[in-house]
Amino acid sequence: MEPLTTGIIGVGILCFLISIGMHVAYAGALIGLLGLATAMGGRLIDPEAGEGLFTAIVLGFPRAVGVAGTIPFAELAHYSLSVLPMFVLIGYMAYHAQLTQGAFRCMRMWFSWLPGGLAVATVFATAAFAAVSGTSTATAAVFSRIAIPEMLKHGYKPGFSAGVVAAGGTLASLIPPSGILVVYAIIVEESVGRLLVAGFIPGILSAVIYAAAIMIRVKLNPSLGVPVYGVDWGTRVRALADIWGIAAVVFVVMGGIYTGVMTPTESGAVGAMIVFLLSLRRGMTWTQFSTAIQESAKTAVMIITIIWGILIMVRFLGYSGLPAAVESLILGLEIDRIWVLIIILLIYVVLGMFMDAMGMLLITLPLVHPIIISLGYESVWFGIIVVKMVEICLITPPIGLNCFVVSGVRPDIPLPSVFKGIWWFFICDVLTVALLIAFPQIVMWLPNTMFGN
Amino acid sequence: MFDLWLERVDRLYHGLETALNGFAALLLFVLMWVACTEVFLRYVFNSPMHGYVDLVEIMIPTMGFFGLSYCQRLAGHIRMELLLKRLRGRALWVPELIGTFATLLICGAMIKGTWDHFLRAYQIGDTSMDAGFQVWPPKLIICLGFCVLFLRLWIQLAGYLRLVVHPDARPIGVPTDETTQDPARSEAEVAHRAAQETEETERDQWNR
Repeated sequence: MEPLTTGIIGVGILCFLISIGMHVAYAGALIGLLGLATAMGGRLIDPEAGEGLFTAIVLGFPRAVGVAGTIPFAELAHYSLSVLPMFVLIGYMAYHAQLTQGAFRCMRMWFSWLPGGLAVATVFATAAFAAVSGTSTATAAVFSRIAIPEMLKHGYKPGFSAGVVAAGGTLASLIPPSGILVVYAIIVEESVGRLLVAGFIPGILSAVIYAAAIMIRVKLNPSLGVPVYGVDWGTRVRALADIWGIAAVVFVVMGGIYTGVMTPTESGAVGAMIVFLLSLRRGMTWTQFSTAIQESAKTAVMIITIIWGILIMVRFLGYSGLPAAVESLILGLEIDRIWVLIIILLIYVVLGMFMDAMGMLLITLPLVHPIIISLGYESVWFGIIVVKMVEICLITPPIGLNCFVVSGVRPDIPLPSVFKGIWWFFICDVLTVALLIAFPQIVMWLPNTMFGN
Repeated sequence: MFDLWLERVDRLYHGLETALNGFAALLLFVLMWVACTEVFLRYVFNSPMHGYVDLVEIMIPTMGFFGLSYCQRLAGHIRMELLLKRLRGRALWVPELIGTFATLLICGAMIKGTWDHFLRAYQIGDTSMDAGFQVWPPKLIICLGFCVLFLRLWIQLAGYLRLVVHPDARPIGVPTDETTQDPARSEAEVAHRAAQETEETERDQWNR
C-alpha cells in the first residue's frame, strides 16, 4: 500500500478510536505502532507472490515494536520537559498558599471605583493568579467561589458575573507558567523559554481588553455594575502586601527565564519552592501537602503519557509522508496565506468544541505546524495564537468548559445565563486574535529582546 | 461471588498503584529541591552540581511511569467523552470494552519494545551523556510501569466485561470518573477543598 494511503487510513482510524472514548495517548500510540508496522512490513513483502497488507503488518510488527519501545525513554529524557512537573506543582500548591484570595482582595482595593469595578478587579485578579496557575478551568473554579459572591452582593447580574469569571479563567493558559505552551514547544521543538516569555504580553493584553470591554459595557448600561468608592490610598498600599507572593513568583519565573539566569525548569522549581514555603507559613497540613503532590504527579503523568503516545504517531506520520502531502496540497492552492491561517483557526474553533485543548493541539500539530512554517509564519507566534484560540473554545457554547465549571461551582447560575454573559468576552477574544495577527510584534517583541534572540 | 473478588482485587491493586504514584510524587518534590539546589550552588558557591542535567533527564521518565497505572485507574488521561456521555447501559460499556482491549494491545506491545530497549542498554552498558550514569534503570522502570498498567488493564477489562453482561450493575474495577473531560478539574477540586478549609479556619478564628 502507498505510504500516503496508510497515513490517511491511520488518521481515519485514530479519529474513530478517539470518538469512542479511547484515551488520546493510547489511541495515538496504537495507530503509530500499526502504521509503522505497515510501512516497515511493506518493504519486506513480495506483492507478486500475493502477499498483502496483512502479511506486511505481521512482518513489520516486530520492527515497529522495537522502534516504538525506544520512544518513551528517548523522547522523555529531555531536560526541557522537566519544567512541566514544576509548573503543575506550582498550580496545585498555590491554593494552599492562599494566593487567590489575596489577589482578589488587592485588586478590589485598587479597581473597585471604576465602572464595573468589581468585574475589572476580578479580571486583573485572574490575570495575577494566572501567574501561579497553568490551567484555565482551575482558575475559573477558584474565582467562582471568591469573586462571584462579592459581585452578586454589590448588585451585579449573575450572568455577567459568571461571564467575567469564565473569561478571566482563560488568561491562565497564556501568562506563564503555562503547561500548554510548554507542550506546544516540545511537540514542535521550539524553545520552551521563548514561548513562555512570548505569552506574557498577549496575556496582559487580553486582560486589558476584557477590562476595557467591561467598562464600556457598564458605561452604556450603568445598572450593570455600580462603582464602589471609599477606599483610601493607605488601604490600597497596604493591600499590596496581599500579592507579594504572586509578585515574587512572577519575578522569579519570568525574570529567570527572560534573563537566562535560570533555565525554565530552575525558574519553575524556585517558583514552586516559594509557593511551597508560603503554603507552609499559611498552615498547609500534611494531608493537603500529600494530596497536592499526588495530584501533581497524576497530572504530570497524564501530560507525559500523551507526549510519548503522540510522538509514536508522529514517527509514523513522518514515514507516511502525510504531513508533507497536506502541506504541498495547501501550498498548491495558491490562496493568500492569511486565508489559510484563518481557515486553520476556524477548524480549531470547531474541534475545540469537541475536545480537550491539549489533546486537540497534540493531535493536530504534526499536520498543521509544517504548513504554518512553510507559509512563513513564526513558530513561536503561531503557538501563542493557537493557544489563544484554544482558550476561546473554552468559553464558546455549547461545550465551553469554563462555563460548565462556573455553573458547576455555582449551581444557582444556570448554564444559559453564563453563556449569555460570555458573548461580550468572546468578541473581545476575537479582537485580541485579530490584533495579534495584524501586529505579530505584540507577540514577538519580548522573546526577541531575550538573550541570544 | 465474582463481584466480591473483582472489588477486592481492584482495591488491593489500587493500593499498590497509590504507593507507586506516591513515589512519583516524591520524585517530583525531590526534583524541585534538586533544581533549587543547583541554582543555589551555581550562584552562591560557583560550583554547579555534577551530573545535574543527566539526573533531571532520568527523573522525568521514571516519574512518568511510576504513576502510569494510578492515572489510568483514576481516569486521569485525556479523552473525548462527547459521544460516551450520551450513551447508557450496554451501548456505553461495549465501546469502553473495545477501548480497553485496544489499550491492552498497545500496552503489551510496549512492554516488549521497552524491554528490548532496556536489555540493549543493560548489555552494552549504555551511559548518560554528561555524568556517565547507567541508563538501564530508568529504561527498566519504563518497562515495569507498562507491566503494572498491563495488569490494571486486565482488571479493567474484567470490569467492563461484567458490565456488558449485567449493564445495570454497579461499576466495579473500572476507571472512576472523578475528573470528567478535563484533568484540570481535579486541580479545581483541590482548590475547592482548600478554599473550604481556609474558610473554616477563618471562621474558627472569628469565633474565638
